[in-house]
Amino acid sequence: MNAVIRTENLVKRFGHVTALDHLNLEVAQGETHGFLGPNGAGKSTTIRVLLGMLRSDEGRAELFGADPWKDAAELHRRLAYVPGDVALWPGLTGGETIDLLGRLRGGVDKGKRDELLERFDLDPRKKGRSYSKGNRQKVALVAAFAADVDLLLLDEPTSGLDPLMGAVFNECVKEAAAQGRTVLLSSHIMSEVEALCERVSIIRKGVIVETGSLAEMRHLSRSRLRATLKNPVRGLEDHEGVHDLVADGLDIDCTVDASALDDVLAQLAVAGVAGLTCEPPSLEQIFMRFYGDELAASGVHEGNGK
Amino acid sequence: MTAAAAEIENGLGTLAGTGKILRFQLRRSRLFLFWWIAGIAGFTWMVVPVITEQYQTEAERAGFAATMSSPAMLSMSGPVEYVHAYAESVGALFSHRMLLWTCAMTAVMFVLLVTRLTRADEETSRSEVIRSLPIGRRADLASALLVSVGAAVVLGGLLALAATGLDGGDGASPLLFGAAHTAVGIVFAGLTAIAAQLSENASTSTGYGLAALGASVLFAGAGNAEGNWATWLSPVGWSQLTYVYTPQERWWPLLVSLAVAVGSVLVAFAMVSRRDFGQGMMAARRGRATAKPGLKSATALTFRLTRGLIWTGVITLVLLGMAYGSVLGGADDFADGLSAAQKEILDRGGSDLKASFATTFISINAIVAALFGVLVVGRGRKEETVGRGELVAAAPVTRGGWPGSYLPAALFTATATNLVGGLGLAASGASGDGDLFGKIAIGTLVQLPAIWVLIAFVFAAFAWLPRAGWLRWLAWTWTLLVVYFGALLDLPEWAMAISPFDHLGNYPAEDFSAAALVVLTVIAAALAAFGHLGLRRRNLSFN
Ligand SMILES: Nc1ncnc2c1ncn2[C@@H]1O[C@H](COP(=O)(O)OP(=O)(O)O)[C@@H](O)[C@H]1O
Ligand SMILES: [Mg+2]
Repeated sequence: MNAVIRTENLVKRFGHVTALDHLNLEVAQGETHGFLGPNGAGKSTTIRVLLGMLRSDEGRAELFGADPWKDAAELHRRLAYVPGDVALWPGLTGGETIDLLGRLRGGVDKGKRDELLERFDLDPRKKGRSYSKGNRQKVALVAAFAADVDLLLLDEPTSGLDPLMGAVFNECVKEAAAQGRTVLLSSHIMSEVEALCERVSIIRKGVIVETGSLAEMRHLSRSRLRATLKNPVRGLEDHEGVHDLVADGLDIDCTVDASALDDVLAQLAVAGVAGLTCEPPSLEQIFMRFYGDELAASGVHEGNGK
Repeated sequence: MTAAAAEIENGLGTLAGTGKILRFQLRRSRLFLFWWIAGIAGFTWMVVPVITEQYQTEAERAGFAATMSSPAMLSMSGPVEYVHAYAESVGALFSHRMLLWTCAMTAVMFVLLVTRLTRADEETSRSEVIRSLPIGRRADLASALLVSVGAAVVLGGLLALAATGLDGGDGASPLLFGAAHTAVGIVFAGLTAIAAQLSENASTSTGYGLAALGASVLFAGAGNAEGNWATWLSPVGWSQLTYVYTPQERWWPLLVSLAVAVGSVLVAFAMVSRRDFGQGMMAARRGRATAKPGLKSATALTFRLTRGLIWTGVITLVLLGMAYGSVLGGADDFADGLSAAQKEILDRGGSDLKASFATTFISINAIVAALFGVLVVGRGRKEETVGRGELVAAAPVTRGGWPGSYLPAALFTATATNLVGGLGLAASGASGDGDLFGKIAIGTLVQLPAIWVLIAFVFAAFAWLPRAGWLRWLAWTWTLLVVYFGALLDLPEWAMAISPFDHLGNYPAEDFSAAALVVLTVIAAALAAFGHLGLRRRNLSFN
């Protein structure tokens, strides 16, 4: 498996702030990789180091096996980037901006450009100063998707798009993936990542706290189990793999570690089951496991369900 | 409550908070106001003794009047009534030669000022923040106009002071001279207030304002050449029609200015209520759907983005050069009658005072030209701070291409503007004097290596210390101080030597040093290379 992006113990400091703290990220060729974390976690900083705009203080970053700080201009031929907050030149129209960005890369595929303009419902003749945030983002998205590149670096690209355009965006990412392109999609919106990405890295305070396929992550996480029993069951609250247990007569509601499911189900079967649902954790719940304490500290209740 | 009372209530409500904004705007534009007012008043203060000395006797002035009475000359100066009064009044000669220029400079100042305080603020949504406070929707326009009126009065007062040194006229003449500029100021403030409501962005608003000025100068010129009504169509013309410092001196044409100013302010206020915030009365024109073929590199983009600045520089320098040139004028020998301070500033040694003045004007041109180069580098920095550069930086472009291309753009801007400034100076100051024309041309070229050193230094500062924007201003202000006031302030030798302009020699008053030119060019190249090194080594941070 060929890694398109690889960082090893990457450290980036801004004065006293350590934005990246020994970050290890790996994205294989052809995969659509979700890069999840709340604001300030270090997503944009990671991407800017990968783009060679910022120089790392320690560790290594590799893009297509090369050093992005030294070979930035060369590497940029093979990638397109959509910044989190797109600023456009007030005097240039969207069309001019898209053409310029295409030509810097060697040429514009006119057909593809026009098709994308159509799909994103973007007027290319408006000046940069008169676009809304969402439309500025569309300009950068059209330029990126029109480019014939191996890698797309998308930094929270949908934060200004309405749901309809969000759907168009999802289609475009899927098409890019189908064409074999590698996509790094940074986001703090779970559903988007869940819908598009086969692998996910979760970043927290500059460190990758979890990485893997969604299936793996689900496996490592707790499922929510609700059951109506025929007879009471004893000792469940003492079981190591059972959490957040609420028992109401014969109804129980709890979360169960993947490793303990076997055992717990066996115990329930002994008591007799009248009804049972077992949901795998959503990405949001997985995410909450890493951020629960932070959210609790800021006053949000740590919930296992909703 | 009657309808009329409600109207009044509503009117006052839309002005709520004007005082708060006024303080904010004054703070934000204090440097702008200081430099423009000091520039225009200082220019006049310096030119008064030059003209006075140049045309000392009645005979000299009568002779000059003969050459100035042709329609061509009148169209480039003012009404013929002034020429008739040349012999008895130096002030008439001065006002005739200078009013057109100083009024035009004043108009430019107020077009830029009002645009800055209204449209530009709205465009960058700075005033969106202010408007979300409990502040009336007309408050920022009201406060911008109050700032303008205040500035126009201060400028007029200083110009009146500067004009007290002129002979001829009566005790009220200097006041009228000052008031003529105040009038131009408030008229263009009012017209620009309308332009700012019409257009959707600052550059268009500035464009409308400057177009109005262009039309004013054209109408005044046409009217003055023929002595007909066309002058009455021009705000600059109204000030000229006061016939200040002549026996026919009169105040009432300024009432026309006042009426037009008040009228346009009322129109602008009416328009504020009729448009949405952030929109213009006329929708912005739709632009190109595709880019022109030339827009295909980072360098092309940089030149495209700085195009407006380059043109502003070219026009400013042509006007400045021609204004200075009109001072150089006809006579050859001056007696010494300048105040010691004025002489110190103007005198560059040598026996030929005219060459000496030319030397001063050439170096002022050069420093103003360098300013436009410095501004271009500042634009490069701004691309970074407002985050627009991020899209280019992520494209296959080396650091030398972006943001490195701001160096060639700055060098080009400063070089081109300096050259056209020299051309303007030579064309208007040495027409018919081939020798002086050539000297001014060479003197202008001699400035280039020093300009390049300043620009390359500013670029290196941008590369290595991007956050220290003040360094750009310190460097430029220092060169200005040395040229303008170095001798006067008795600055120590080493302090003057920091300015690259201090090593050029004083051509055409004295010789220039070819060796110094070579050394300066080498230093500029070294600084440029050092700057490029810095750009490759530093982080780009966008926000
Ligand atoms: N140019 C900078 N200067 C100083 N601090 C910065 C800069 N860029 C980012 N940071 C800090 O680094 C941390 C990570 O920021 P960022 O990468 O933008 O997070 P994210 O994109 O995940 O929201 C934040 O604490 C932020 O304040
Ligand atoms: Mg971010």
